Amino acid sequence: MSSDYEYSDDEEYNEYDDDEEAMDVEDGSTSSEEDVEMDVYDDDIKVVSEARKAYEVDYRPLTHQQVKDLMVADIEYISTIFGVGSDVAALLLRHMDWNKDRLTEKYMDDAFSISIAAGISPVPKPSHSGPDRSKRVTRSSKSSKKIEQATISEPFLCPVCFDDTATDTLGLSCGHIFCTGCWAMYTVSKIRDEGEHRVLCMAENCGVVALNPFVHKVLSDDEDTCARYDELLVRNYVACNKNLKYCPFPSCDRSVSCPTASSRSALSTIVPTVSCGADPKHKFCFGCSIDGDHRPVLCVVARMWLKKCRDDSETANWIKSNTKECSKCQSTIEKNGGCNHMTCKKCKYEFCWVCMGPWAEHGTAWYSCNRYDDKSGVEARDAQSKSRASLERYLHYYNRWANHEQSAKLSVELYMKTEKKMEEMQLTTDLTWIEVQFMKKAVDIVENCRTTLKWTYAMAYYLENGNQKAMFEDNQRDLERAVEDLSELLEQPIESETIPVLRQKVTDKSVYVQKRNEILLEDTAKGYLEERWKWNVVVDDL
Amino acid sequence: MSDARLRRVNKEIADCKNDQSSNINIDLIDNSPFHLRGSFDGPQDTPYDGGHFEVDIVIPDSYPFQPVKMKFITKVYHPNVSSASGAICLDILKDAWSPVLTLKSTLISLQSLLCSPEPNDPQDAEVAKHYMTSRSSFEDTARYWTHVYAGGPAPSSAPGAAGKDITGLRDEVAIAGLEKVHVDQFEAIGFERSKVIDVLRRLNYRGSNVSKIPDDKVVEELLRA
Ligand SMILES: [Zn+2]
Ligand SMILES: [Zn+2]
Ligand SMILES: [Zn+2]
Ligand SMILES: [Zn+2]
Ligand SMILES: [Zn+2]
Ligand SMILES: [Zn+2]
Ligand SMILES: [Zn+2]
Repeated sequence: MSSDYEYSDDEEYNEYDDDEEAMDVEDGSTSSEEDVEMDVYDDDIKVVSEARKAYEVDYRPLTHQQVKDLMVADIEYISTIFGVGSDVAALLLRHMDWNKDRLTEKYMDDAFSISIAAGISPVPKPSHSGPDRSKRVTRSSKSSKKIEQATISEPFLCPVCFDDTATDTLGLSCGHIFCTGCWAMYTVSKIRDEGEHRVLCMAENCGVVALNPFVHKVLSDDEDTCARYDELLVRNYVACNKNLKYCPFPSCDRSVSCPTASSRSALSTIVPTVSCGADPKHKFCFGCSIDGDHRPVLCVVARMWLKKCRDDSETANWIKSNTKECSKCQSTIEKNGGCNHMTCKKCKYEFCWVCMGPWAEHGTAWYSCNRYDDKSGVEARDAQSKSRASLERYLHYYNRWANHEQSAKLSVELYMKTEKKMEEMQLTTDLTWIEVQFMKKAVDIVENCRTTLKWTYAMAYYLENGNQKAMFEDNQRDLERAVEDLSELLEQPIESETIPVLRQKVTDKSVYVQKRNEILLEDTAKGYLEERWKWNVVVDDL
Repeated sequence: MSDARLRRVNKEIADCKNDQSSNINIDLIDNSPFHLRGSFDGPQDTPYDGGHFEVDIVIPDSYPFQPVKMKFITKVYHPNVSSASGAICLDILKDAWSPVLTLKSTLISLQSLLCSPEPNDPQDAEVAKHYMTSRSSFEDTARYWTHVYAGGPAPSSAPGAAGKDITGLRDEVAIAGLEKVHVDQFEAIGFERSKVIDVLRRLNYRGSNVSKIPDDKVVEELLRA
């Protein structure tokens, strides 16, 4: 914004003085907006009466209307400082991807050019162009109305439908006139077929864009398309605003505002898990497109892990080419280490890995198998055993990761079983519906914590060995045990006499599991801030 | 909506018939006015001169608010036209489309595309590379294709060779846009050189296509030829 002040010294820009004052006011209100947010946050603290956890981020779920309101506020801001109508301001903002500062800078610099580029004013005809028009062109749109009326009085042939009986015609500021019916079909096609909010003039090479009231007028009673158009505008606004993100769940129109996670560098210390507020299931990461909750692992590490898992088929191929079947009992044997003297674990058959022949035939001259002495063969075997070790390491983490993912998926089933149990409990005991909710809650907790556990394996895979990793794995183990215990309790058959005991046990265990989950997440989150976590790979391709 | 579309397309076809000066033709392929065949002559003083080029035209439901779909039926050797499918890379067929453009004006644009290729926005990378690296060799091939596919005159390097065997041509392999090694390879199996050139040309045995066309397929075609 400092550049704007430079302009005020310049005599030529005196006419913008009013705008400047308006901007100062706006600047003031921006900071007070932050104050408001702080106040809201303080209120939260009072209401919930607990501080925000280290593994949680500040964010605000927004309804469609709330986002619209933010958009309108930006439009009004530009409208006020530029002294233009809000529809013109909206189009200028859309053209500049809703970057108010850059728009202001460019507009102050050359209002005429940006008005043409944004599609507000037509490209001037060579004879008409004059330097005098270079300021406040956006107000010149009235002159186009004259052209429109002048054309209407003459016999009119619509250049799109070739209809010469059309009496209702419309045109944008460029003066290109078409019949209303063509405008309507064209606009519907742009919005519906192309999902496009920029409705350009239909004339060839004309870059003038329809303002919102024009689009609405043309669509008149087509409420569906009008709504779709408005949604496209809001989606464009959200897409351009790095503080905002649409909820990725299908047909959800809510968004989340999370300025703390808007920069790439922020994502090296936080995992911004947010929820749009429409449904507890609508949980997603503000920093990346992995759906659901991938805490405690950073976006970039989670992405790396998922990529590795996708390349897993390579691993399967490796296994194929590095395992052989015992020629006696056909059980699968994997090569281990560099020695070719293999012994089948199952039938104790001894053989040579290279030629698969019985080891006895190699006798004391075991090196007689010629490929063994081959130098390149030795090197290949070394490389193979290294790769084997790294594969085993990967599989250790992958199997546990996949297991928790699988179990979390199965919890849908567990959910239904539990619901049945809860119904049973109501029938066989005098517990009320509210009192049996502890079961449902426990299932939710298990699912939630399995998701955490799942991602802890991705994290541990990339953590450098040492004390920190050991402590991380302690927390992981404690949580895992607690979750397995609770899962087991939930699977137990229900007997009416044991229900009070079971209820107590499940409730206690639920509290404990949640606590372990919190400890793990809290410690990991703090570790990021304290730069405690060291990776065994380069983690900076954010 | 389809009423207006039908009216407009019918009027466009009629207008085009009435206008003899442009040398652009639009004909029905079947009974539908929404699937048409356009045609025009290759522009003068280009390698396409003398050829007659046919274009497949499909009118989408939301025409003229969405662009017409066009592709060459006649094989064309041109950087912005796929040598395999006839698909065309031209801005007005995409985002620069305007509802005031007509079938005729679009076909005229295609005609002028033949005059002025846009190798920086290629549809066929192989052809574009040829165009960029060796213009005269590109033009030889384009002229040869015009002769073989579009009924153009025989290339001047073999005067009066229109009905003759192409072996009369100088470096017929390069002109056909093929690689000598590929022709040699199949000739070595025992097929006549002119036959090999003809088959490889029809199979579009060039560039990345080579790896996609198995040898068996080529031999099969050679046996059938
Ligand atoms: Zn019309
Ligand atoms: Zn216009
Ligand atoms: Zn949602
Ligand atoms: Zn993420
Ligand atoms: Zn065995
Ligand atoms: Zn050994
Ligand atoms: Zn051996």
